[in-house]
Amino acid sequence: MNTKQLAMIQEDCARICVNPERFSVLKNESILITGGTGFMGSWLAESIAYLNDNHRFGIKLTLVARNMDRFRENQPHLASRNDIFLLEKNVRDLIDIPEDVSWIIHAAGTPDNRVHSSDPLDVINTIANGTMQVLDASTRLSNLKKIVNISSGWIYGSQPKEMSHVPEWHIGGPNSTLTTSAYAEAKRMGETICSVYKGQFRIPMVTLRPFAFIGPYQMIDKPWAINNFINDAINGGPIKILGNENTIRSYLYPSDMANWILTALCEGESGLVLNLGSSEGCSLREVADLICHCIPGETVVISQTLNRKPKYSIFVPDVTKAREELGLELSVSLHDAIQRTIEWLKLRQ
Amino acid sequence: MKKITISDPTLRDGSHAIKHQLTIKQVSDYCAAIDKTGVPIVEVGHGNGIGASSIQVGLSGESDIRLLEAARNNLKHAKLGVHCIPGFATIKKHIKPALDIGVDIVRCASHCTEADTTRNHITFVREQGKQAFGVLMMAHMAPVDVLVEEAMKMESYGAEAVIIMDSAGAFLPDRVEIVIGRLCDALNVEVGYHGHNNLGMGVGNSVVAARAGATILDGTARCFGAGAGNTQLEILVPVLERLGYETGVDLYRLLDAADVAEKELLLSTPTVRSISIVSGLSGVFSGFTSHVERISAQYDVDARDVFFRLGKRGIIAGQEDMIIEEAYKLHQENLRKKSGIPL
Repeated sequence: MNTKQLAMIQEDCARICVNPERFSVLKNESILITGGTGFMGSWLAESIAYLNDNHRFGIKLTLVARNMDRFRENQPHLASRNDIFLLEKNVRDLIDIPEDVSWIIHAAGTPDNRVHSSDPLDVINTIANGTMQVLDASTRLSNLKKIVNISSGWIYGSQPKEMSHVPEWHIGGPNSTLTTSAYAEAKRMGETICSVYKGQFRIPMVTLRPFAFIGPYQMIDKPWAINNFINDAINGGPIKILGNENTIRSYLYPSDMANWILTALCEGESGLVLNLGSSEGCSLREVADLICHCIPGETVVISQTLNRKPKYSIFVPDVTKAREELGLELSVSLHDAIQRTIEWLKLRQ
Repeated sequence: MKKITISDPTLRDGSHAIKHQLTIKQVSDYCAAIDKTGVPIVEVGHGNGIGASSIQVGLSGESDIRLLEAARNNLKHAKLGVHCIPGFATIKKHIKPALDIGVDIVRCASHCTEADTTRNHITFVREQGKQAFGVLMMAHMAPVDVLVEEAMKMESYGAEAVIIMDSAGAFLPDRVEIVIGRLCDALNVEVGYHGHNNLGMGVGNSVVAARAGATILDGTARCFGAGAGNTQLEILVPVLERLGYETGVDLYRLLDAADVAEKELLLSTPTVRSISIVSGLSGVFSGFTSHVERISAQYDVDARDVFFRLGKRGIIAGQEDMIIEEAYKLHQENLRKKSGIPL
């Protein structure tokens, strides 16, 4: 990552930390993040580094991931810090957590659906057994204050068409007979495991259910519609919409994501379950048009499905609870999120 | 009007029919002719795809690169496609150079139960901003639920279409309707169909596929292809048009291109020979025909028996060495029978 890209991240971190006192319970504490080098982990690490550098929070951060090489290569500014510790381990083998850790964000488990399809057993194993392993290890911590379990919005299964925004109380579920449900089912199981540990061991636990995100640090090759659209557009277009263009999605910018996670960690009551995402639903056609608007030139949008209308789906969270219970708001619109993402990617080139 | 995208693998599947000895001139002449017709996709290369030239499946007369360059130089309107079976084709050695030459579409193929093998190739092609299709070969060998599952994997890897390949020409219309219908229900991306003519069903099955929702259909000039040949392109297009589908292909120019193919490519006009019917009935890849015939003659056994035995074993492309094994076993059994030794 170059200095211009880094500067953009710093601008975003300033937005996250506009009210740093909100996170003051984390001062001089030790935090552990599993899945620490992924998209979510990277943004949390940036935010915490920002709090340490600019507001003297003195947080010690441990990032757990199975392979640190790429992180060291791509984010040396984080990997080389003396307040960030890298623990190269598969979460399933995490026997001991450093004993000074008092806050945990459990974000292990890739959301990449290519991996879900090609190695579903490993996905289940990592999420279910990994969660159990982390919680088991956490029972031995003497000063544990809270765990945030990063679940998934996919645990609701297909969002009913008549429901424009899915609330936390909705009891849906993925189709358990499909291999492609491995990730969602494992995340559901992960939530249940968390509930059991919360009940039996009185571990303070908050659950977040992420939806979709777009912003810096997201790999543009990930097989999600908006990533493909941006990739198409950056490569000179056209933007190809595969499937039904009326499919509805929403995207949260990662600075908001990091802000919401840290707020839930600091202020969420044990047992709280919150959706983590944007309620600003948009059709794929609208998203593609927005991207065209953000890229100079004449990018065109083509819908690739001939003769039939594939089923459309909705994947948009109801975030009323996040707003009411923790006062969480969206600070970056979809338009701005797309614009900043494109800007950041262009800086890469 | 419903639209169908025609994909022409004459210069790829046809390669099987001439033992992969396509010449630069043949590729140039046919590409120049087909480019005038409005056929939007032209597939070129070794019958088993890019990087497949080998002793096991047949050595190419020309390198992939030279064939693709010749095609690219003569295709001004049509997209250039390649067939790619991961294992034969590697990303660094084959796919990247092909994309550098100007290949637009990579059809990443696997046996119908092994879509997992296509993940890296599909991902790479999409990352390069090119089109990637998934192809499930020998589709008659898997139940429809498995085909749906495998196709969904390809979709999740980023395939922009999934093509069902009836490599052995073993599908009957009812089966095509069920398979294509189920895939269209399950997938968000386009579904395609690639037919073979072993049981005389090439065009008929393709029409059924279109009616069931397929929007990409493969066909070759004069059926030029493996075994009994493929769905005949110059028949498929007017039949589709007559049924109310729009292909965007100019009939007269297509007929002219088929004449070029007949003159330049075909050593003999493909017919549905007896051995091809057996290939279809036994569900063995049409491309095995010449190997089965040659090896059966070597071992003095009936090629039809060898085909049915291979069918029972569920042999697929890449397992050509099994032909020798079965022919040898049959030969031994025949000898025992003749000499009265119990089997």
